[in-house]
Amino acid sequence: MNEARYLYCISDGDQKEDLGKIGIESNAVFTIPYRDLCAVVHNCPTVPYKSEDEERVKSWVFTHENVIETAWEKFGTVLPFGFDRIICGTGDMNAESNIKEWLIKDYEKLRQKLDRLKGKAEFGVQVFWYYKKIAGHLPEQNEEIQKLRSEVQTKTGGLAYMYRQKLEILVKKQMELEAKNYFIDFYAQIEAIVDEIKVEKAKNSENGKQMLMNLSCLLDKDKNKILGEELDKIDKRKEFFVRFTGPWPPYSFV
Amino acid sequence: MEPERDWTGKATLVDLLDRVLDKGLVISADIIISLAGIPLIAVNLRAAVAAVETMLKYGLLETWDDRELTATHSSKLQTLNS
Repeated sequence: MNEARYLYCISDGDQKEDLGKIGIESNAVFTIPYRDLCAVVHNCPTVPYKSEDEERVKSWVFTHENVIETAWEKFGTVLPFGFDRIICGTGDMNAESNIKEWLIKDYEKLRQKLDRLKGKAEFGVQVFWYYKKIAGHLPEQNEEIQKLRSEVQTKTGGLAYMYRQKLEILVKKQMELEAKNYFIDFYAQIEAIVDEIKVEKAKNSENGKQMLMNLSCLLDKDKNKILGEELDKIDKRKEFFVRFTGPWPPYSFV
Repeated sequence: MEPERDWTGKATLVDLLDRVLDKGLVISADIIISLAGIPLIAVNLRAAVAAVETMLKYGLLETWDDRELTATHSSKLQTLNS
């Protein structure tokens, strides 16, 4: 039947506790304790949750996150699992024994992680720039680009085309340099006030904005105001736009 | 600025998916247990969200500011999915 265990997170806690029917598909969520920590789980079939229905999968993902945040609030610190991590029985060991065995084996490592993350949360920081605005200012700072731009305007036909190509290449090169320098500057600004940073892949842009920087930051949950103020300095500049999300359970730092 | 906390909004759904699909605690390989993998549909969901973002970029859908999106996410999301 429901012999496997769906894993939500590892938390502080030394008792078997019931968190209620808050799990995926309204399953009862409970803890499997070992010493002073526990695994937060629900009983599930021995196959992953799978569906063609996007809305259904979305609601599962929301439920997954909600259970972790409930455990976070209840127990204080969590080491979150990603979606759809399921432990089955093997041979003559059932799923719950397998989990216990794993908690015993990895206790020190898990305990260290929990201690390290106590009181902390993950925040997402994405900095975008308005590509055209920055590119538009380049002639002011770059003599070569400025010269080329005025020369393009005096040419016609094929020659003008060639000059425009040359200008485009120059602008692109300069923009890459600008991106690198802004990245280094903003990264340093943020690094100074957070505990840890992970650099994530920049995603596709939209609405004339290009993502310059995508970071996951670890800091004290209640110190996000300081980070927010630093990000305001960047966000209020007309050429940049900042997205600040969180607090997230520390997915990127476990 | 305040961090966006509501991860049910379309903009932050992507942030949530990035975390729950790609990250989280890993159980060390030397422990002999069966671990079920990520179902394909969850990855497809993220592709669907990305497709919507591309359609926004090329003006095939109504465009709106990211901030407005998160403020009115529930009604807009219904429009997107209809």
